Amino acid sequence: MNVIWQNLPALLDGLRLTVQYALGAIVLMVVIGLVAALMRLSRFRILNWVAWAYVEIFRSTPLLVQLFFVVLGLPAILPVNEWFGQLTYPILAAALTLSLNEGAYVTEIIRAGILGVDRGQKEAADSIAMTGFQTMRYIVLPQAFKRMIPPLVNQAAQTIKDTSLLAPVGIIELVYKGEIVIASTFASFSIWGVIAVLYFILIFSVSQCASYLERRLQVDKR
Amino acid sequence: MINVKNLHKSFGDKEILKGIDTHVAEQEVVVVIGPSGSGKSTFLRCLNGLERVTSGEIEIAGMKLTDPKTNIHKLRQHVGMVFQQFNLFKHLTILENITIGPRKVKKMSGREADQVARALLEKVGLTDKEASFPDELSGGQQQRVAIARALAMEPAVMLFDEPTSALDPEMVGEVLQVMKSLAADGMTMVVVTHEMGFAREVGHRVIFMDDGLVVEEGKPEALFSNPQAQRTQDFLAKII
Repeated sequence: MNVIWQNLPALLDGLRLTVQYALGAIVLMVVIGLVAALMRLSRFRILNWVAWAYVEIFRSTPLLVQLFFVVLGLPAILPVNEWFGQLTYPILAAALTLSLNEGAYVTEIIRAGILGVDRGQKEAADSIAMTGFQTMRYIVLPQAFKRMIPPLVNQAAQTIKDTSLLAPVGIIELVYKGEIVIASTFASFSIWGVIAVLYFILIFSVSQCASYLERRLQVDKR
Repeated sequence: MINVKNLHKSFGDKEILKGIDTHVAEQEVVVVIGPSGSGKSTFLRCLNGLERVTSGEIEIAGMKLTDPKTNIHKLRQHVGMVFQQFNLFKHLTILENITIGPRKVKKMSGREADQVARALLEKVGLTDKEASFPDELSGGQQQRVAIARALAMEPAVMLFDEPTSALDPEMVGEVLQVMKSLAADGMTMVVVTHEMGFAREVGHRVIFMDDGLVVEEGKPEALFSNPQAQRTQDFLAKII
């Protein structure tokens, strides 16, 4: 028990970093997902194709491999460490790769949400002379967004879990901190246990918030 | 007000409109009738560019729809449309449904748009519903709001695509009443409908379409009581 209390501050510091990476990635993945989804639905062939390729590439390779490739592979052929800084590049690259990976799933969520909005809504907006942008902004997206909330929250929970894959490429967060603690204390059982509990608390509270939100939206269902 | 020349429309290799020629004068109420699949809804949807024309010419409210240089959004500001399924914006209140066009498209101030919307709600008899959402209204009420939404853009022409076909019978009357008063105000209207009573009473001219062509057109009394073409006779015999 003592070993847990002694090392809790270090683990909590790791948790703080995990939350930071997760928050950053969640914001970025929604922005990326929205842009890519709109590209997927665009009538311009090239945009369409680029977004499709992006989604398929990121969904069809493991996140861990993507992280190794970008964080450790790229510096072998490009002077990226000089461009961005020895310490900054890995953090930047890892955070961006994580966001792009999650963004690929978000693209499909947002695309499905937009396609789920009744065609008549778009036609009605067309008929009152709205531009494509106005139709998307004021009519389609607000309606699509409501049906996208549950899957987006799922994806956010997944993103929190996926931040643990940043440890193997040398990014300091909860898992990395845990490994450091274990290296000096050998208390694998209790430290991994605490780490699991911390993740659980974090993710469980996110999904609880989500089901609360979902109930609220059911009550005033529009 | 509307000039249509040799209008053709195909979906893939299926030709829906096979050369429509017609003309609608200012303040005229034209009713388009015909069996389902005759192309009358497609014809109407071509008039505001919801369907892209395959070939031919459409001139409406002084603008050439079929000219690629024409700004379709400009044109649509002058052409109102009412749909069979109402298509009210589900996430907006009744008032917002009507004001969003004037505010976002015509850049009208919020207060001015509210005034316009309230005047229109009074016209269609739904003053007390402005804070409701579409799914709280009956079909007939929703369709009246849809008419108000189109009118808020101050169109020169109103297109009606089977506006009463999705309604319970007891609600048809209230919608037709609003359309009648619009016609009485001198609105130019093109109405696709199965309501022969409305065609007879309000229509200045009836167009009978079948198989992508205008088979026959004329004054309602003449067309209903003395149809010339065999296909018109067959159609009217079936529905009256």
